[in-house]
Amino acid sequence: MSLSEQDLAEDLEDLYETAPCGYLSASPEGRIVKINRTLAAWLQRSPDDLLGKSLHDILSVGGRIAVETHLAPLLRMQGYVNEIALDLLAGDGEKIPTIANAAEKRDEDGRHLFTRLTLFKAVDRRNYERSLVHARTEAEIEARAQRDAAVVREQFIAVLGHDLRNPMAAIAAGIRLLRKREHIGPEGLQVLSEMEKSVGRASGLINNVLDLARGSLGGGLVVERNSDAPLTPVLEQVIAEIRVIAPENSIETRIDIDEPVYCDRGRLAQLASNLLSNAVTHGAPDQPIRFEAASVGGLFALSVANAGDPIPEDARAHLFQPFFRGEARPSRNGLGLGLFIACQIAKAHDGTLEVSSTEEETRFTFKMPTGNQPVETIVEG
Amino acid sequence: MPSASVLRRNNVNVTGSGDRAIVFAHGFGCDQAMWAPVARNFERDFRVVLFDYVGHGQSDLGAYSAERYSSLSGYADDVVEIGRTLGLEHAVFVGHSVSAMIGALATLKAPDMFSDLVMVGPSPRYIDDDGYRGGFSREQIDELLEFLADNHLGWSAAMAPAIMGNPDRPELSGRLENSFCNTDPEIARDFARVTFLSDNRADLEQIRARTLVLQCSNDIIAPVEVGEFMHAKLPNSDYRLLQATGHCPNLSAPEEVTTAIREFV
Repeated sequence: MSLSEQDLAEDLEDLYETAPCGYLSASPEGRIVKINRTLAAWLQRSPDDLLGKSLHDILSVGGRIAVETHLAPLLRMQGYVNEIALDLLAGDGEKIPTIANAAEKRDEDGRHLFTRLTLFKAVDRRNYERSLVHARTEAEIEARAQRDAAVVREQFIAVLGHDLRNPMAAIAAGIRLLRKREHIGPEGLQVLSEMEKSVGRASGLINNVLDLARGSLGGGLVVERNSDAPLTPVLEQVIAEIRVIAPENSIETRIDIDEPVYCDRGRLAQLASNLLSNAVTHGAPDQPIRFEAASVGGLFALSVANAGDPIPEDARAHLFQPFFRGEARPSRNGLGLGLFIACQIAKAHDGTLEVSSTEEETRFTFKMPTGNQPVETIVEG
Repeated sequence: MPSASVLRRNNVNVTGSGDRAIVFAHGFGCDQAMWAPVARNFERDFRVVLFDYVGHGQSDLGAYSAERYSSLSGYADDVVEIGRTLGLEHAVFVGHSVSAMIGALATLKAPDMFSDLVMVGPSPRYIDDDGYRGGFSREQIDELLEFLADNHLGWSAAMAPAIMGNPDRPELSGRLENSFCNTDPEIARDFARVTFLSDNRADLEQIRARTLVLQCSNDIIAPVEVGEFMHAKLPNSDYRLLQATGHCPNLSAPEEVTTAIREFV
């Protein structure tokens, strides 16, 4: 043997014994037949002491069960097992986390000769993986709790909104009764009309909140569409109501609908009312609001325009999101649901709601086909 | 449940032909593949039935219900449903590990379905108890659960159904390490709890089926004294100590297991 070959042989022996990983070979019965010094040192035992011992002797009991129920059958079936997290048991009882690969050495007839294991110490890696798993578990628990809380909150809003409707209706009926039956002086009448306005605003808010809660709870926004009755009187009624609520604003209207519109008239009234309320709240109070509704060639368009400061560019992207509120006098500020629900109503009619805003005017335009559509469309909340 | 869905749910495979049926049921930690070396020896003269418990192998993961499978009885219900679907009568049930007890519970639920029961490495209770030695303490079972938690990484829910039985797409087999015995990690933990915390000692005296206890030498999961306990409690049982060592003689010594089953049936 030449010198260089001797050196090489020496190197291989040394590589096996002191490699920066553990090597172990076990008989088919699970007895340790060869083990390197690195692994023996990790285990705080001498290699001679370990030879002939059962593999179980260097495993925790949980690890033994895992080896018998998982690793051993896998090795028999596919001949190898890779990337298994395995805790070894050192002489002093301390656990050594490792990552192990194992492969069966078989002869030409497929007879199992022995099993080779290569082990890497993985203390930090195991800690890291466990903290990841822990963090994921925590995040899942947190997310579940938040979902549950959100459902409860929305159910609460829905119930509250529903229960507020009846007292509002009672107050409105009371105001009408007082007007008709009692002799009330001019100041009293003024108070009554202020009360009517407030009731109108409160009812609008309640309806919007209810729609939001229904949408969020998965019911979606339900529209029932037909063309059984004209749309014009419905829109005129909305404008009349807004005039009661906001007598200081002037509203110029142009309604020209000459074909039947296949729609949910109550919902379109809500859309018109939300857009008009929006114009009253955000528009310049000394300049008229322009309301236009017309049908032309199978298309129905409704727009509401007001003068005043244009909507800032960055606000436009959020305009149709729930709970978005622009700058307004605090007392007039709503929940930020009006435009969101108007947009939902537009979608439920296969239509669009768009905004343009310049120094001259801010205009919201709703467009939809007038023609026949499926009887009921639900927009997912 | 419609029969097609039962067969799909438990990935039931029927091969061979014969007057009698023999069902092989896998234990904790694996799937029906572990019975292949033994099962093939019975195809000549038996209808051979292999299946995966829900959550294991190629079973329908969507059918898993933590509630239904919170005890061995739920798994036994599945065995009975499979048996009814296939019209099994006086068949042989061979159960490995925890499946031995699942099969025993199935014979109580449907007495005519299985007349013979082969229990391979069975245990009615794994944890030591007053005057009883099952071999484990509660803390040691927790170590096992820890091992299962640490070995999530190779498991891919998306790949699991595609792993086996895709001879036409061999590229799939290389994409995931340890492609046999894949179990959803959550389900594996549940099954470990149900298995190792179960106590079916009181059921043993009720079992009327002819039973063979096949005990391995040097099996740390089900030690010899547990096998002897089973034999003593089962009213109509034979006992045989195998030379095979470890907990999976169906893989390490399929010939010896085959011979033992043949001589019994």
